Amino acid sequence: MIAFAVVPVVLATLLIGARGVAALRSTSDFLVASRRVSPTLNAAAVAGEYLSAASFLGTAGLVVKNGVGALWYPVGFTAGYLLMLVLVAAPMRRTGALTVPDFAEARLGSAGLRRFSAVVVLVIAGLYLVPQFTAAGQVLTLVSGTPHWVGIVVAGAAVSVTLALGGMRAATYVQAFQFVLKLLLFIVPAIWLVVAVGAGTRAEALRPAEYTAFPRATEVTFRLDTRLQVREPVTVLAGGVPVRLDPGEHVAPGEATWVFPEGAAVPEIAGAALPGSDTWQHPLLDGGNGHPLLATWSILVATALGTMGLPHVIVRFHTSPDGRAARRTAAITVGLLGSFYVFTVVYGLLGGVLLPELYLSGATDTAVVALPGRVDGGTTGAVFTALLTAGAFAAFLATSLGLLLALAGALAHDLLPGSLRRLRLTALLAAGVIVLFALPAVRIDVGAVVTSAFAVAASTFCPMLVLGIWWRGLTARGAFVGMAVGLASSAGVMALGLLARPDPGLVALLLGQPALFSVPLAFLTMIAVSRRDRPPAGAEAAMLRLHLDERT
Amino acid sequence: MSRQRRVAVTSPQTRVALAARRGVSAVPRSLTGDELRAAARIRRRQLRIAASTLAAAALLLVGLPVLLGVVPVDVRLGPVPVVWIAVALLPYPVLAGLAHWQLLRAERTEGGTERDRGR
Repeated sequence: MIAFAVVPVVLATLLIGARGVAALRSTSDFLVASRRVSPTLNAAAVAGEYLSAASFLGTAGLVVKNGVGALWYPVGFTAGYLLMLVLVAAPMRRTGALTVPDFAEARLGSAGLRRFSAVVVLVIAGLYLVPQFTAAGQVLTLVSGTPHWVGIVVAGAAVSVTLALGGMRAATYVQAFQFVLKLLLFIVPAIWLVVAVGAGTRAEALRPAEYTAFPRATEVTFRLDTRLQVREPVTVLAGGVPVRLDPGEHVAPGEATWVFPEGAAVPEIAGAALPGSDTWQHPLLDGGNGHPLLATWSILVATALGTMGLPHVIVRFHTSPDGRAARRTAAITVGLLGSFYVFTVVYGLLGGVLLPELYLSGATDTAVVALPGRVDGGTTGAVFTALLTAGAFAAFLATSLGLLLALAGALAHDLLPGSLRRLRLTALLAAGVIVLFALPAVRIDVGAVVTSAFAVAASTFCPMLVLGIWWRGLTARGAFVGMAVGLASSAGVMALGLLARPDPGLVALLLGQPALFSVPLAFLTMIAVSRRDRPPAGAEAAMLRLHLDERT
Repeated sequence: MSRQRRVAVTSPQTRVALAARRGVSAVPRSLTGDELRAAARIRRRQLRIAASTLAAAALLLVGLPVLLGVVPVDVRLGPVPVVWIAVALLPYPVLAGLAHWQLLRAERTEGGTERDRGR
C-alpha cells in the first residue's frame, strides 16, 4: 500500500523532470529556466517548493505537542511572502542576479561579499535539507516498517536524479505539479477526517479534555530518550517486563516501548503541554519558558523575515520574466499558501484528541499520517494513510529539489564558477553529502531545525536585501560585518544554547529562538558600519535602477 | 505548447560583474538625469506604500498575539473558541487582502508616474 503511494510520486517527479531535459542547454537554463515562467505557474512552483515536511507534517505535529499556539508558525510562513512582495520581489528581480550571492556582488560590487554570501547559503540550505531527509525516513518507518535509511536514500536518489537530468526547467513544472498534488492530498483527507470522526469527536476536539489519565492501556514507543515527570506511582510494561515507577523523574530510553495501564496518570514532559490542558488551548506559543508572547513574536519574526532570505525561494523569483511578474508571483503565492495552511488546524485539533499519546512518544511529526488509521482501521483508513504519505513524500521531494539547486548553485556558481556539467555533478555530490548527514540525525526535531534555518536567513540575507534595495548608503563592508554579526547571533547563539542547555526561562528562550534580537542587531550593525564608509559613486544610481519598471 | 524564444539571462549589472572577473569592462548604459529623477520619485512613493502595508502587517503579527493573550479561550462563536478562529483562519484572508492591496498600489505607482505627477 505504501509503495503504491510513494512510487507514483517519485515516478511522476522523474517523468516531469525528464520532460525538461530536451530544453536544457546552458548554465542559466539550468538555474532559472531561462526566465519564461508566468506568475501563476511560478507562484504554484514557489508554493510547491516551499511546502516542505515542516508544513505538511511538522506544524500539525507541533500543535499536538505544544498546543494551538503552534498555529502561528504557518501564519509566519505565509506572512513571509507578503513581506517579500512589499520589500524585495520586484527590485530583487531587476538586479538580474541569479542567486543571493550574485545580488550581493551586483549591488555592492564585492567579490568577497559574494563568496561570504555563498557560505551563508550553504549554512541555511544545510540546516533546511537535513531535517527534510530525516523526516522522509521517519514517515516511511512509521507507515511501512522499513528501516530509517531506506526512506532517506530513496528521497536522496529521486531528488538528485531529477535535478541532474532537468535542473530548474524541470523543477518549475515539478514544483507546480507538486503544489497541486500536496494541496489535494492535504485538503481531501482533512475533509474526510472531519466527516468520518463523527459528531462526538468533533465536539471533543473543540472542547478538549485534559489528557490526565490514560483512557485505555496505551503503548508508547519513545522516539528519543525522554524525561518523564511521574505524578502517581504506576507499573508499566517495559518490553513486556513490569516496572514500577515512583513519583519523580524517570528517563525512558529512546526506542523503548512502554505500556501504560488503563486509568494511570499521564506523566508530564518539560517543554511540552499536556494535550487539552489550559496551556495547550492557549493560542500563544509556550515552550515551557514562561514567556508565551515573546516566544510567539520570536517565531513570527524569524519566519516572516526569514522567508525572503531563503536561497531556494529567492532563486525561484528569478524565473519570472521581469520585476512586475516577480511581484505578482509573490502576491499569488500568499493566497495559495493560505489555502493550504487553513487546513492545518484540522490535523492539529484531531491529533490532540485522537493521538494524545504522541505527546509522550515524541513522534508528533507523524500525527498527520497516523490519523486516518486511528479513525478507520479498514481499507478506507489505509487508503487515506497512503494518500497522506504520498503528499508528505511530495513535500520532501519538492523542497529538497529547490534547496539542492541553491546549494549546488552556491558551490558551482559562486564559490567555484563552472560549466553546466560541473553544476550537475555538484547537485549529485551535495545530495550524497546531505544523505550522509541525515543518516545519523534521527534524533533531531524536524520543526525546530527548520525554524533555525529561518532565523539564520532572517538575520543575514534579510537585512542585506532590504537595505541594499531601499538604502543607497549600504556598503560592502557594512553588509559583510552585518551578516557576520547576524550569523554569529543566530546560528552561533543557537549552537551555544544546544551546548549550554540552560534551565527553562528567558535565557533559554532567547538562546533557542534568537531572531527577536539577532535580526535587529544585524540591521543596526549593517547601518552603523555602512555609515562610517562612503558608498561608491554609482551606489545611488545602482539602487534607483531597481525601482524603475524595466519596460519603460 | 509553442516553443518560446530563449533570451540571454544576465542583467546589465550581472554582466558587469561577470565581465569584470574576466578583466573586461561591460559598464551598462547609465540612466539619464530624467530617468534618475523619475526613479527617485518612484522609490519614495513605493517606500510610503510599503510602510503602510508593513504597518498593517505588524498590527496583525505583533498586535493580534497581544490581544489573544488576554481574551479567554471560553469566549466562543457557536462551539468554536474565538481565539482559535483568530489564529487558525483569520490571518490568511487578511494576509491575502494585504497582498492584493499592496500589489495594486505598487503597480499603479510604477506605471502611472506621469499621470500622477500632479498629486
